[in-house]
Order: sequence, then C-alpha cells, then structure tokens
Amino acid sequence: MTSALFPNALAGLALAPLTLAGALLLRRAWRSAGPRRPWLIAGGWALLVLALGLGAVLLGGARGPAIVLALGSTVALALVASGIELRDARKTAPRELALEPSERRRVVWRGWLRGFLAGPLAGVAALGCGLAVAICAPGAVQSRMVIGGLLVPFLWAGGMAWTLSDDRILRATAVLTGVAVATLGAAFLKGAL
Amino acid sequence: MDASAKPANKPPRAVGRPIWPKVPAAFVRAMLAGHSALGLAFAALIYLVCFSGSIAVFTQEFTRWEQPAGPVLHAASPQAVDRAFRQALVVNPAAHDVMVQMPEPARPRLSVHLDDAKGAERTFLADATGALAGELKTPWTEFQAALHTVLHLPRAWGGFIVGLTGVALLSSLVSGVLSHPRVFKDAFAFRWGGSKRLQEADLHNRISVWGLPFHLVVSLTGAFLGLTVIIVGVLALATFKGDTAKAYALFAGPRVADDPRPAPVIDLARALTTLKAAQPEARPNYLFVEHPGERGQHVAVNAVTPGRLSRGETYVLDGQAKLLGSVGYENGNAGLKVLSSLTPLHFGWFGGWPVKVAYLLLGLGLTSVTSSGVAIWLARRRAKGRPAPRWERVWIAFVWSQPFAYAVSALAALALPLAPVTVWVAATLAASATAIAWTPAAISIRLRLATAATLVLTAAVHQTLNAGRMADPVGWITDACLVLTALLLAFSTMRFAKAA
Repeated sequence: MTSALFPNALAGLALAPLTLAGALLLRRAWRSAGPRRPWLIAGGWALLVLALGLGAVLLGGARGPAIVLALGSTVALALVASGIELRDARKTAPRELALEPSERRRVVWRGWLRGFLAGPLAGVAALGCGLAVAICAPGAVQSRMVIGGLLVPFLWAGGMAWTLSDDRILRATAVLTGVAVATLGAAFLKGAL
Repeated sequence: MDASAKPANKPPRAVGRPIWPKVPAAFVRAMLAGHSALGLAFAALIYLVCFSGSIAVFTQEFTRWEQPAGPVLHAASPQAVDRAFRQALVVNPAAHDVMVQMPEPARPRLSVHLDDAKGAERTFLADATGALAGELKTPWTEFQAALHTVLHLPRAWGGFIVGLTGVALLSSLVSGVLSHPRVFKDAFAFRWGGSKRLQEADLHNRISVWGLPFHLVVSLTGAFLGLTVIIVGVLALATFKGDTAKAYALFAGPRVADDPRPAPVIDLARALTTLKAAQPEARPNYLFVEHPGERGQHVAVNAVTPGRLSRGETYVLDGQAKLLGSVGYENGNAGLKVLSSLTPLHFGWFGGWPVKVAYLLLGLGLTSVTSSGVAIWLARRRAKGRPAPRWERVWIAFVWSQPFAYAVSALAALALPLAPVTVWVAATLAASATAIAWTPAAISIRLRLATAATLVLTAAVHQTLNAGRMADPVGWITDACLVLTALLLAFSTMRFAKAA
C-alpha cells in the first residue's frame, strides 16, 4: 500500500472521465455489430484498466483503485440510466424467453435440511477453514488471523449458494461435514498460534 | 440477479459469437432457485442493513449537522488537547477510559468522551484553547450508526445478525452472477414500462452488474466486521482456552501492565510532542487514554497518513509519555494493513466527499436491488396466475417504511425528548400497517409524499432551532440535501402516478 502522489480526495474525480470514456466505448460496441466492435471492446477495457493503473500511481496503491472502482461504478451506472428505453405500459408484454428457477418438490424435511446446510453447517465448515488457516498456515500470526477471518464469510457465502442450489443435498451434507471435522480437528489438535 | 431479462428489440444487437461461455440451462435454473430462496429469506434484513449502511456513510456529517454551532476547529494545539482532557476529567474523575478526538477535515471538532466503570458516558466539546464549550449530544447520529452495526441489539447478537446478513448478501451475489448468462449481452439494456417483471429485472441486473465491485467489497467487509466476535471467540477457544482478550491483544500493540495505584494524570501535550518528534509526518486524529490517574495509565495515539487506505497507525505511549511502539497498522505485516483498511473500505471513508457520495448512491442502488429482487418474485407469481397481493402490499409498505421512519426519527430527535430508536420502531410499524388498508400504488405514493413532507419539516425545524448559530456549513448543506431529497421523492410520485 504505497503512499499517494496526490493525497487530496478530489484528485479521484479527475480520473472519472477516463472511466466514463471506457464505458462509452463499451456501450458503442454493445450497440453496433460492425467490424470495429472488437476494437471498441478492447479500447473500452483498456481505458478502464488505465484508470485503475493511474489511480494506483497517483492516489495510492490500494486507495487509488478503490476510489476509481467506486467512482467508476457510479459513472457507469449513470451512463446505463441515461440510455433508458421507455416502453408503453398499456401494451401487452410479449412472451418471455427467460429461464425460470427450477421447480422443486416441496418436501418439509428437505427444506429444513437445506436450511441447516446453508446456515449452521456451512458456517461451521467455513469457520473451520478460517481457523485452520489462522492456526496452521505459515506467516505472521496477525496475517494468518485476518486472512483466515476473511475466508470465513467468503466460504460461508459460497457454501450457502451451493447448498441452496444443489439438488443433491446428501452429497452437500457429507462434504460440509467432512470439511468441518477435518479443519476444526486440525485447528484444535494444533491448538497454538 | 434475475435471468428474466430478455433481448431488447432496439437498438440492434451484435450477432457475433458470445464471449461469455455457454452456461447449461439446468445450472442457471438451479442457481436461480437458490438465489430466489436466499433472497426471500433475508430480504427484509438485507434491505434494512443496506439502507441503514447507505445513510451511515455520512455519520461524521450527521454529527456536525446535529450540533452545528461548533466550536468549529481545523486544528488543535497539544496544550489545548491536554487542557480539554483535564477539564473533562474534573467533570468525571471516575472516568476509566477517555477518548479525545482531534479536529480533522471530516469532523472539525475537538471533543472528549469519558467512559466510567459504571457505564456512564458523556462527550464534551472544547474550543481552540481547550476550554470545555458544552456537551456533545447527537442522539440521531448514534441511533442510525447503531442500527446499521448492531440493529440496536446486544453487541454480540446484533453484530452476528448483521454479519450473517452480509454473508447472505455475498452468497446472493455469487449465485446471482452464476445465474446471469446474459451479463454482457444485456450490459446496457435498461427498459422501463411495459412488463413489470422485465422492468424490475433490468433494474435489478444492471445495478447488480455495474455495482458488483462495490457490492462485493461492502458485503465481504461487512460480514467480516459483523462476525468478528464469533471468529475471534472460536479462535480463542482453540488457542487461548477461551480468553478472547489474548486474541485481541495481538492487534493492540505494546502492552502496559495494569497498575491501579494513583499517579499524576498523563500529560497529553507531552505525549503529542514526543510523537511529533519521533514521527514528524504523523497527523494525530484521536487519543485513547486508558486508566487515567493510575500508574498503569497509557495512551494510544492514532495518526492518519493522507493518501493511504487505512484507519491510521496507532502509537502507544506510557504514563510518562514515553513512546513504546506502534501497532503496525501502516508499518506492520500484511494482515494488520488489511485489517486497518476494512472499516474505511466498508464505509467509504477514504476518498473525501466524492467517494462518500458514490457510496451513498451505490448503497441505495444495492438497496433497490434487494427491493426489486422481491418485486421480481412477486411479479413472476402474478404472471403465472398465482398472485400474492398481501405480500405485494406488505413488501412495498416495508420498503417505503424505512425512508419514512428515518425522517420521522430525525425530526423527533431534533424536536422531542424521545429516543430515536423508539420513534423509528413506531414509524416503521405505522408505515408497515398501511399494507392492511391501501393498494401497493397508494402505499408507495403516500409514504413517499409523507417522507418528503417530513424531510422538509426536519430541515425547517433544524434551521429554526439553530438560527443565528450555524457555525458549521455542513448544517446548511445537510438541510439543503434534505429538501432536495424531498423534492426528488415528490417528483418521483408524479412520474409514478403518470406511469400507473
């Protein structure tokens, strides 16, 4: 995390036109199917990457990209909103082609088990992984604890998404239980930071 | 995200081969089912946490707005800091911990917060000489911050529920991205009107995709910050026989042994001068004195480095103002540096007002993603001939109850001796109760208009109460923003009524 050449926060605004230009090129590519399309896509992404790079150099190694991402996302959303297509609400909507969520049979025990897997069991398994990293991984103790701690919500979220969408819940139960036992076992067996 | 957005007729779309790999329909449908179930289960909590978080970005500004008379300071001498500290200790000699906040651009005040063993807490403002200039009372600011961080529940439970909500949000982002095969094809499609479901799906998907970096950052950091108590608790159980203090001590820097025998109160002017000599670039923004007047007293001085994504470096000095060392938030290992960046990253406190405004807008965008997610589910049910009119009313009433309850609680905090949280609960219940009698369109329009009127009234009451003593320009700016928000809300009802 290097220091910034321009610590003033307003310097971040100077990079917003660059992200706007990148988003504009991408929108032009999205709208036109001509031979220039690949170049427009490449140019758009290049400008966005350039803004991130300049942000890191000018505004700080970690702070700059964070500022560019926050302001860039806002600018891009404003651009999307500017291209709003108003439709007549009184016209009948055409037949929808979109995919529907899969229909599952409503079985009470499966619902409860799925909830248990996504909540407590995925949470314990994620906590076990985080704990195993904090206790067993190499490196400074604070780094291990922070990385392990950040892994917990990330893995829990992944486990939640998986168990709620996977129809084979017994497989999910076995995997999550195995991970929880292995990681918590390793952590408690070592038992020292 | 919802996969119900279908190709727009205009403008003409590219016909080349898609860049995104073909995702099997069964996988998308399974992901959508999980996304839908999780979103519905946590919808109200995610909505509340996202809305309150968007407002909490401006916590420092709300502190200034609630007490705009100042004294407004842009700097404070070490002598003024020490004098304010000593004067505050005279008011409460039993103070166990004292926090002195120095003036900084986002919060131009010198304040002293005292916390005694019985749990009594008071905060005083001081002028440029360090003389106490009155008590700082910001009930609404404290209310909105506590609502976002702990939902006004006990710290462990509230933090856990907010953290779990962050996990659910993060999980929704994962399943949403995986169930969105048209992420590039529909990148700029934003259709309004026509099919309700497609309209909501476009809103849901466009904000989700373009705001994704922000959504990932706030949900991951929020979940981590909320779950800290649990994570550290389990870690302590595995390594320190359950003693969490030992785990936290790893992040507290040099230790000073507890010694309750009396001693002369620490000289904060000397502590700041010592730090200035050792770290000339350090810009202190707060001092935390533990056990003042005891032999074991010590002070942690936090100093920010402009241009860094960090909460600042913390230096520890003992009772004789001798520098013992630093925690390492800016100069230590990677873990400490990452930890120090999480709070600024989560709240948008690292890039001045442009980033705060961006965080407000992106946060409100995430709030509307939650709202539209439920709206899509309700519209899908209606389209399939299984409408849920009661839930349609309940959801729209809850959605618009929050801007209304926030506005009413702010007004009450200014004008009445009532706890803002009580007013917020009452206003939320009252607004939600409109679901019993009104149609969704009437609920939406009337609650928006009521919110707009309350915001204007709040700004007017604030101006009246602080007439002639508004020393901080943020008082004026915030009132202007309240009126502008009211106008936007009123304008949106005109557009809504026209569309309906």
